[in-house]
Amino acid sequence: MERLKAALSYILIIVIILSLAVVLILSVGSDVPKSFMSFFRGIFGSLYGFSEVLVRATPLILAGLGVSIGFRTGFINIGAEGQIYWGAIAVTTTAYLFPGLPALIAIPLGIVAGFVAGGIWALIPGYLKARFGISEVINTIMFNYIAINILGILVRTVLKDPEYPLPMSSKLPEGFIFPLLMYPTRLHLGFLIALIAMVLVYVLMWKSSPGYKLRVVGLNQRASLCSGIPVKKYIVFSSLLSGGFAGIAGVGEIAGIHYKLLEGFSPGFGYVAIIVALLGKNNPFGVTAAGLGIAALQVGSLSMQRQAGVPASISWIIMGSIVLLILARSTLLTFFAEKEKEEKV
Amino acid sequence: MIETGLIAALTAFLSATLRMAMPLTLAGLGETFSEKSGILNIGLEAIMLSGAFFSFIIAFMTQSVLLGVCAGIAGGIAVSSIHAYLSIHCKVNQTIAGLALNFLIIGLTSFLFLIVFGKSTTLPECPVTPKIPIPLLSQIPIVGTVLFNQDLFVYFTFIAIFLAWFFIHRTEWGVSLHAVGENPKAADSAGLNVFRIRYLSTIANGFFGGLAGSYLTLGLLGFFMENITSGKGYIALVVVILGRRNPPGILLAALVVGAAEALQFRMQTAGIPVPSQLFTMFPYVITVLVLFLAVGKSREPSALGIPYIRSKR
Repeated sequence: MERLKAALSYILIIVIILSLAVVLILSVGSDVPKSFMSFFRGIFGSLYGFSEVLVRATPLILAGLGVSIGFRTGFINIGAEGQIYWGAIAVTTTAYLFPGLPALIAIPLGIVAGFVAGGIWALIPGYLKARFGISEVINTIMFNYIAINILGILVRTVLKDPEYPLPMSSKLPEGFIFPLLMYPTRLHLGFLIALIAMVLVYVLMWKSSPGYKLRVVGLNQRASLCSGIPVKKYIVFSSLLSGGFAGIAGVGEIAGIHYKLLEGFSPGFGYVAIIVALLGKNNPFGVTAAGLGIAALQVGSLSMQRQAGVPASISWIIMGSIVLLILARSTLLTFFAEKEKEEKV
Repeated sequence: MIETGLIAALTAFLSATLRMAMPLTLAGLGETFSEKSGILNIGLEAIMLSGAFFSFIIAFMTQSVLLGVCAGIAGGIAVSSIHAYLSIHCKVNQTIAGLALNFLIIGLTSFLFLIVFGKSTTLPECPVTPKIPIPLLSQIPIVGTVLFNQDLFVYFTFIAIFLAWFFIHRTEWGVSLHAVGENPKAADSAGLNVFRIRYLSTIANGFFGGLAGSYLTLGLLGFFMENITSGKGYIALVVVILGRRNPPGILLAALVVGAAEALQFRMQTAGIPVPSQLFTMFPYVITVLVLFLAVGKSREPSALGIPYIRSKR
């Protein structure tokens, strides 16, 4: 019975979301079947389209994994966007400092630099939460805006390409660039790194002692403290890991896609990563699946914008509604049941 | 000569500070009601954005500021009601519901904006509330010009601060509000309707948040663009913490951040040869510092963010 109810509620959510999509499509005066067709053609219609899903999923999975580690420990990390920016700054800076390195050293170095930079950017709000009890939600959001502006300053000053009038860095040296996996698509090494990260996070969180403690702290801080786990230390540790993975997402975007540091390279990956972590129930495999799903939603929406004239911001509406409906899932059925009762009376 | 220039600059700066502080104060007042009753709404950003959008669109279509403000308030209340239903009825995680609403409203407002105006390069403009100088008082140098040569929003905010303070600290309703946020079980036993009081206070949150959003478009800017609030809702949450959920304190806290924003605009236009981003991030840095300095000074309502379940002990 419970299973049936759960299945029913999910079907209900799908129905609501689909009807919402239809209403939105009709409201811009587009053709519904054509819009849905272009949505799916964008995802499955060509190898390039499908590879774009994987390309988009790469930063979402990496940052989503980071966010999920934070959520597991009770560190609500809304700052993945800023941590992605720091990962990008770190790999560019490293490339500037050591331009001649061979790929075998340069790529791991870039990833480590991104991990450290993103991690430190998250560690500051993590420490402020653990030591002083300051809301990490607000601090991480403020840190996003600060990071975006710091990047803006850097690409106009220290890291600016002097030969180019626009605010961006010069191209990364060969060694730091992620190899493509499937030429001529844009799929790059970052996707493999995301899959490795997925396994790593699983092993860390479920097969190691520190991971166990991270989860316990998230479940019950008081109980952890009583059983001798240094709660504050683990919150700081989780913030470091959380930001670190988001930082790697930033490295992937620069070294795998853009090859140079520029403003606005992330169309809100860090914010979407929060949704990805929530939908993936903070489980690394779930996060990966959610990352792929959300990426498909975005790629499909873009194709719908091009071919059927439906604004791509529809994907944000859908994502927000999905999260709200899933939150309210347990009460969805009772809501309708009550309605029926009332009607019968 | 130099002195008059200095006075004019100071007056302009203080006046800008006050105007920048107004949306934060209004949104902060609303959030105070909500948090006092135990509902933490991170979706304040969404409330403000919805208020900004709907006030703009109605003011644009009807050319009436008043109708615009009403639409903004309605837009704010609509968003806060969704959050209230999820938090009070469905008893979900309030932070996550608030965040999800932020995403939803960012998408919805830019979607609707595109539907109405298409992809035009020129931003459509709407009427802006005129300044109404108060006779005599506005003639006083500096203080008079800053305080009494403003628009109706500013005057209303000052009245609202007083009324909110009076309501929270001097009426029986205020006591009920505290009771529900501190100990809902006891409040329930004493015969207070916890759910109703929480719903009402979240409606107050939508009212003030929507008004704050309308002030952004109809008072300060005269136009709307995607994600126009750019974090102001989150900053207002900080203002609430720093102001210790007390209306006059919220005004002071908002003035601190408002001054940072006013200073930012001054510096940007002063022609100092550094990237403007250095100044753009100023208000956010100030917010972090302010939050740090306010450590331990603010006590949260005991039941903040915890859903009330009647049958549970």
